[in-house]
Amino acid sequence: MKKWGIAALCVILVAALVIYIDWRGRSYAVEEEEKLVVVSPHPIEFMIPLIHEFENETDISVELRSCGTSVAIDSIVNRKDVDIMWGGSVLSVGPYLDNFYQYETPNKAEYMDVFKNEGSSVTCFSDVPSVLMVNNDLIGDIEITGYADLLNPVLKGKIAFADPGRSSSSFEHLVNMLYAMGNGNPDEGWGYVKKFTQQLDGELLDSSSLVYQGVANGKYAVGLTFEEAAVTMLKSDKHVSIVYMKEGVVSTPDGIYISKDSDRIENAKKFADFMTSKDAQQYMASDLGRRSVRKDVESSSLVVPRYKMNNLPVDRNKVISEKDKWIEEFDRINKEGRDG
Amino acid sequence: MAKEVRSFQENIRRTFIRFSIVPVAAVSMAVLIIFAFSWITFMASSNEQENKQVSAEITDKLDVYCKMVDKISSGIKRDKFNISRNDIFRILYEDTSEFGDIGNLIVMSPSMKALFTSKDLVPAFLTKKEYANWGVWNVINAYKGQTRITLYGGNLCVAKGIYEDGRLQAAVVYIIPKDVMNGVISSQNRYILITDKHGWVYSANTGRLQDEFGQINDTISSSVGFLKLDGNLYYSYRTALQRGLVVYTVNDVNRSVHLIWLIIAVIAVIFIAIALITFKSTAVSSAKYTRDIKKIEDAFEEVQKGKLDVKLDISSSKEFQIIGDDFNEMLEGLKRQIGRNKELAENVAFSQVKQLESQFNPHFIFNTLDNIRFMAKIDATSADKMIVSLSGLLRYSIKEVREEVTVKEDLDHLQYYLNILQIRFNKRFAYTIDVSEDIMDCLIPKLLIQPLLENAVKYGFNGQEKLTVAIRGYQMQEKLIFICEDDGAGIDEELLEEIRRNLREDTNTSSHYGLYNIHRRISLMYTGDYGLDISSKKDEGTLVRLTIPKHISE
Repeated sequence: MKKWGIAALCVILVAALVIYIDWRGRSYAVEEEEKLVVVSPHPIEFMIPLIHEFENETDISVELRSCGTSVAIDSIVNRKDVDIMWGGSVLSVGPYLDNFYQYETPNKAEYMDVFKNEGSSVTCFSDVPSVLMVNNDLIGDIEITGYADLLNPVLKGKIAFADPGRSSSSFEHLVNMLYAMGNGNPDEGWGYVKKFTQQLDGELLDSSSLVYQGVANGKYAVGLTFEEAAVTMLKSDKHVSIVYMKEGVVSTPDGIYISKDSDRIENAKKFADFMTSKDAQQYMASDLGRRSVRKDVESSSLVVPRYKMNNLPVDRNKVISEKDKWIEEFDRINKEGRDG
Repeated sequence: MAKEVRSFQENIRRTFIRFSIVPVAAVSMAVLIIFAFSWITFMASSNEQENKQVSAEITDKLDVYCKMVDKISSGIKRDKFNISRNDIFRILYEDTSEFGDIGNLIVMSPSMKALFTSKDLVPAFLTKKEYANWGVWNVINAYKGQTRITLYGGNLCVAKGIYEDGRLQAAVVYIIPKDVMNGVISSQNRYILITDKHGWVYSANTGRLQDEFGQINDTISSSVGFLKLDGNLYYSYRTALQRGLVVYTVNDVNRSVHLIWLIIAVIAVIFIAIALITFKSTAVSSAKYTRDIKKIEDAFEEVQKGKLDVKLDISSSKEFQIIGDDFNEMLEGLKRQIGRNKELAENVAFSQVKQLESQFNPHFIFNTLDNIRFMAKIDATSADKMIVSLSGLLRYSIKEVREEVTVKEDLDHLQYYLNILQIRFNKRFAYTIDVSEDIMDCLIPKLLIQPLLENAVKYGFNGQEKLTVAIRGYQMQEKLIFICEDDGAGIDEELLEEIRRNLREDTNTSSHYGLYNIHRRISLMYTGDYGLDISSKKDEGTLVRLTIPKHISE
């Protein structure tokens, strides 16, 4: 019948259109190149030049995902397509070391001695000391040299500190406080922590970036953060200065962690080698304000050399095992201080 | 499955709809499809074309810069690494004149000291010692003596190391002015991104399609064609240049897709409107166009019901007008024919009645004349009376040209007949007449009752000594009933059947003229359930009843 003819014609036309669109607009994948999927909590400006150079040198394309430490850990542990976690302090990643591929980079020979003892699940990348960051314009005459100075009543409510349960740099400061103010015995340090929380006036920030930005923007006079963030602020001409606590500075390395499930182990190894190479470490130290783990790399002029700081050793196993307990205890004290 | 027969109007309407809505739908669909085809073709091919054009333009420019760097390098080598500023500037201006910016050409010593700079500016990534194996220097070292294009820190650099005896003697680095490359893409109306082969964006005319690191979005770099990004639809094409750059051209198809949807929506609305209007208007127009058909149908129905005085008045279209006129003419003819037929039938009936009326005469007259002859011998007075009565009766039957007379008149003239019978049978015959006074003025056919008496005498005296006849007349509803009852010998069952059967015939087939004639006259003169019926019982008598419609002369 004629009617069916018209209907058939319509169907044919539509089908032709669909086929045509499909043919014309077929999104064919571009030939797969060598690649690597990297998750990282590092600041973006820090990562770009390093990744760019890595790509140019090795011709491996890096797919970069920027996120916080806990999300990064979560994705490398649980997601199959993530090859490498770049960054995250040994203290915070410690409980997950079983998920990582064992690799010893040849560059390890050039490491400073303190970093040579790490297990082969972690490739040490940089050294990140905890520091105090002071806004020069707001601090006035008050002299800040260490934790003890933070108890000055004038500073009440002007101290930026993030929740140690959420921010790994804050947790490292907590560890630092306990060891420094407890004179090497963390259990003795809680007295100071209690006084310190009262100085916070009940305010705990959600992330570490709010700490250094808060100080740089003048919302707070002083903040407890990590060295590289402070250096980045310094380099962007913020009126801030870095204070290494005279009571002692805990400095924990952050590392490169290769996923055990990675399909691109060779590329991942190249990544670890490149990032710990002299050129990369030299560039990082000179231009990015990050402390190298290598003996043969000079530090940036913006940071105090390691031997001039009061280095404070910590019992890493104790910290890792007590982590949850300490965070709980901090919450309790903080809550008590606020309610009382 | 029996197909329902639709009305003409419905058919007309369907035809209207089919020839208005269906073509509109088909055409708009075809237009849409053709539009979509050509849009996709145009969009995709213009995208590819522009991509190739931009790629060619960029390649040309890069070629110019590379050749320039080669020229300067060979110049430096020729001059044994004595830098001649004039030579370099000459080449620079010569080769970049069309771009309007000489750019920054830097000649570096292997110890990272600047030997020459065209803009008195040497970027840190060439001089600082941490860059000795980093970035541009890395490229110079890795590709010994080759002219390479590399992207570092947002600068697109042409770099070449000048080697002699396998040792680096100097390096020429040319930083391509960004405006030159931006000029290629900024005037385009689709998104164009120029990246290095790892996806780091060097130049783009949009801030979109890049991630927070300044790399092109993975989805775009990993496929070509239609792709979806953050819920938006794009069409993307890429060309990888020889010199390590990649040119992406990306169409934001969203607006076009929205536009297409809008067009589809508008067409749909228009189509629905057309459909509605057509639906509505076809109802009206089909009714209008078939109004004459309806008229014709109604007229035929009227005619079927018997009303012949209908007239078709059609002036809408010629064909129907002809039909209407023909119908009127035909109906007129039919009416004329019917009138003529009626007239003819009336004439026939009249003459038949006349003939029937006249049939009583011969028998009766023969009998009566016989009697008169007989009576003249024995009783002259009676004979005289009989002659008077007979002549009265004959005069009545001849004279009365009118078909109908009043009951009274007919009864009066019946007396002549009764007189004759009285004289004929003398004491053997008795009669009574009992007719209501109120029907005396009603009209009845002439000589209506006389045949009944004649019949009673004919069958009643079959071996009987005496015969009594009773005539009754009365009105029942709108009918007049006349009954003639006798106590005579009665009629045989067989004969009675024959008479009754005969009464139902159109023509008389028996010799029983009297009853048949009266019945026939009644049924010719009056239409309806009128006429004569007869009942009789052997040896008990006969009863004849006449029924005629009651009517009075005006």
